[in-house]
Amino acid sequence: MPSLQRYLRSIYRVGFRAFWRQLQYISDAKSGRLVGTDQFGNKYYENYNAEEEVPGRHRWVDFAQHHYHASQVPPEWHSWISHIRKDPPNEDASMVASRQPWQQPWTENLTGTRGAYKPYNTVAPKINAWEPKSAPRA
Amino acid sequence: MSRLLVPVGVFRSIVASNARAFPLISHRLQSTHAHRQPQSTPNYLESADGLMGDLTARKHRHARTVRQFDAQGNELDVYKDGPSAIDKAVHLFFFTEILRGMWIVLEQFFRPPYTISYPFEKGPLSPRFRGEHALRRYPSGEERCIGKSSCKNIGKLHQYPMLLQLANFARPSAQPRQSPSKARRVWTVREEPQNMADIDMTKCIYCGFCQEACPVDAIVETQNQEFSTENREELLYNKEKLLANGDRAEAEIAANLRSDHVYR
Repeated sequence: MPSLQRYLRSIYRVGFRAFWRQLQYISDAKSGRLVGTDQFGNKYYENYNAEEEVPGRHRWVDFAQHHYHASQVPPEWHSWISHIRKDPPNEDASMVASRQPWQQPWTENLTGTRGAYKPYNTVAPKINAWEPKSAPRA
Repeated sequence: MSRLLVPVGVFRSIVASNARAFPLISHRLQSTHAHRQPQSTPNYLESADGLMGDLTARKHRHARTVRQFDAQGNELDVYKDGPSAIDKAVHLFFFTEILRGMWIVLEQFFRPPYTISYPFEKGPLSPRFRGEHALRRYPSGEERCIGKSSCKNIGKLHQYPMLLQLANFARPSAQPRQSPSKARRVWTVREEPQNMADIDMTKCIYCGFCQEACPVDAIVETQNQEFSTENREELLYNKEKLLANGDRAEAEIAANLRSDHVYR
């Protein structure tokens, strides 16, 4: 029973407290290397041992928030966890070089909240109200 | 049989006394065998030993048995090495195929699950994945978009309704046209900047033609696919929203473009 073995091994490795947290969120016992933590406190793990984690499930995130959402992963880590990039963003040279000083902080998908995006017109109005100006009399 | 008991008994007594006169009827009534065949015509359909005859085999072409002969002309038993009839009957009556199928299901039960638990683990994406749109900036912070409307035109060319609103990209700080020759050499910069770049994301089919058409990599499709909204209204992106997308995800966009540029 490789599945049960893997499950018990992961519990033994991460400890009961972390296992309980995994049970609340991932609902599976997983153990691996802590790759990094992003600015929001989400922790990223990976385990490349195919005997322990099925390939395709070898990278995972432990969300910091209780009300977790997939968009809470910032884009740099998103490309790591989506297997677009091999290395985590702080070790990826081209990712570090691509970071710009004018970059804005990442926000999660704010739909359904007050911060949700509402479209507005960005074009100068075609019809302007008439502002009467009387020319000075000579 | 029972409903014909009386007449058959009567007929049988009649026919038995005149068996010579009614040979076929007497055979039918006195025996429990199959219908008697006419004696004159030979039986091509069934051979004497009860196996299938040649005519039957020719009639049922698909069920023809394979017959092999050795050099002396003796027929070989092609089923000699196969399972015996008892073996086949045992497998049939003890449901071994069903049990073998159930064993495979039981094996799957104890295998590690390979279902990806989505928000925690994600399936692989390509660096060319086409998701939410964004407008990029140069490293200096200047907007890349120059209002060339290539993205709009390619959308019109392919009749994608999403891009019909995508009109008149322009840099806010567009320089007025210096001279016609210079303007023709580079792409046309609009003299009156109109900050309108509306995309209806509900109509977009994410074909990626807009980013292919853009000569300055201004409009790109990011790898973000988690931008679902509660209202349809929130998916009508204007230019500020597109620029904000680019400002937040610039590192990812640039790194993915860089890793993919050799294939473009």
